[in-house]
Amino acid sequence: MNRGKELMVGAVIIAALAVAVVGSLWLRGTNWGRGETLVEVLLRDVAQLRAGNSVKFRGVEIGEVTDVQVEPTGEAVRVWLSLDGEVVIPPEAVVLLAPESFFGDWQAEIVTRESYSSYDFYVPSARERARDVPVLGGFALPEMSRLTASAQEISDNLANLTDRLEIAFNDTTAANMAVAIGNIEQLTSDLRSFVESEARAASDLSSTAAAALTEIQAASQSARMSFARVERLLSDEQIDSIMTYVAGASRSMQGLAQGLEDSSDELTRALVNADSAFQRLDMFTRRIADGEGSIGRLLTDETLAIRAEDVLLSLDLLLQDFKANPRRYVRLSIF
Amino acid sequence: MLETALGPVQAIGRGTLAAVDSVGRAGYLAAGAMRAFKRVGMWAPHLGTQMFRIGVASVPIALFIATFTGIVLALQASYTFTGAIPLYFVGTLVGKTMILELGPVLTGLSLSGRVGANIAAEIGTMRVTEQIDALEALAYDPIAYLIIPRVLAGLIMIPAVVALSNAVGIAAGWGTSLVLLDMSSPEFFKGLTLFFDPWDVQFAAIKSASFGLVMTAVGCFFGFTTTGGAEGVGFSTTRAVVISSMIILVLDAFWAATLL
Repeated sequence: MNRGKELMVGAVIIAALAVAVVGSLWLRGTNWGRGETLVEVLLRDVAQLRAGNSVKFRGVEIGEVTDVQVEPTGEAVRVWLSLDGEVVIPPEAVVLLAPESFFGDWQAEIVTRESYSSYDFYVPSARERARDVPVLGGFALPEMSRLTASAQEISDNLANLTDRLEIAFNDTTAANMAVAIGNIEQLTSDLRSFVESEARAASDLSSTAAAALTEIQAASQSARMSFARVERLLSDEQIDSIMTYVAGASRSMQGLAQGLEDSSDELTRALVNADSAFQRLDMFTRRIADGEGSIGRLLTDETLAIRAEDVLLSLDLLLQDFKANPRRYVRLSIF
Repeated sequence: MLETALGPVQAIGRGTLAAVDSVGRAGYLAAGAMRAFKRVGMWAPHLGTQMFRIGVASVPIALFIATFTGIVLALQASYTFTGAIPLYFVGTLVGKTMILELGPVLTGLSLSGRVGANIAAEIGTMRVTEQIDALEALAYDPIAYLIIPRVLAGLIMIPAVVALSNAVGIAAGWGTSLVLLDMSSPEFFKGLTLFFDPWDVQFAAIKSASFGLVMTAVGCFFGFTTTGGAEGVGFSTTRAVVISSMIILVLDAFWAATLL
């Protein structure tokens, strides 16, 4: 075998090895001589994150996930990140795990806690934070499958609701709704009319109120003037004479009261006289009732009463006849 | 009447015996190869020549196949993904398919025709022209002299050829994506690296090594057991290609089931 063939064989093998090794390292994302920053992340769960997934910071891919392991206590998951070069991690940095696309690949993104304050990021212990390697807290967004399950549940609920609506919304319901809509339309029209009339009334009332306010204003002005006069009057020196007059009036009133008191004594005496008169009248009435005297006999004796009535009748006839024929009873002659 | 009725039974018996005979011969040859492997001085001088003939000489045809495979993969992936899946997955499909499947299998199948047929015809001709008998007469171990260098060359060079084929196929897919699919290089390499696993390369190396072993060993076996002159050589050559191709496909499924 000549030297040329041996060289060719060697070249092919070396080329194949180079392609396999270098290609694997390159596709794996190996840093060729560049430095790297190691970061550890503690999370409650990592969803679909796997070793080899990308690490992003401000949207730029700066490294990859190198390992994912559950903590021995089982309370958290520790993720190791390898960042390209010397990356300055911001203070209060946390790691958010989220799907990178809709096709299953996930990513770890370094963010600030205040940017996603609503998420419950894992808080590493003080011992973890005191280590030389940066240890960040992390939070994994819900997986697509969970969101899909939630969406499926919502979809099912909507389907049930639609079915119920379909059952409830039949022809009768539609007719009733049409009637109700007509009623509402009528009610709306009535309300509009009512509102318009009320608006007009309110307008009139407003005018009246304005006039009343004007009058009240004038009255208040007059009252103010009156009060001013009273005030002037009260402050004037004539108040002394007024008070003098008032004192005189009081004295007159006092005399009047005394007069009334005297009149009261006279009234008492008159009442005593009246009482005596009533007693006599009562005795007189009792005697009549007992049939004493002419009036008493007349009231108690029925015969006498009849005779008196007959006399009165005869007298009445006589008077009538006298009126009709006066010449019969009166004869007047001068001579 | 009775002979007619027993014909199928006889055919089954004959086929079974032939299969067992072939397995026995293969076993015998394998055992001889294991013994002959110790005779390094007898096979080592010929190893370089066989590596050149099996490996280096096969590189052009392997790269040619890989180039067009990469182009077709990129185009078909684009055709399939359009409107539904981001185009950067073209890189994923080209890389994964070339490394895991099409690179090793297409290279193995094509080289089983070229290498396996060449070995079967060469050794078969030596057998029918009694050159192998002459080697034995001259105290040469024909297995160490003829078979070991070829099998070792196939075992070593076919993975190398497959590795180059994979690289060229991916590069062809990349070029096709740039020129025909209006993709950018970052897009293609994003897809290419998205699901890359170094184990894929090792898997391809293991698979292609097994294919190299099969295509050379089957060619050697049928060449070594050739009988019947020129017609027998042709028959052995054909059988070597067919059988090695079948075994390659079976092995392909076997490795996929056991290693992935």
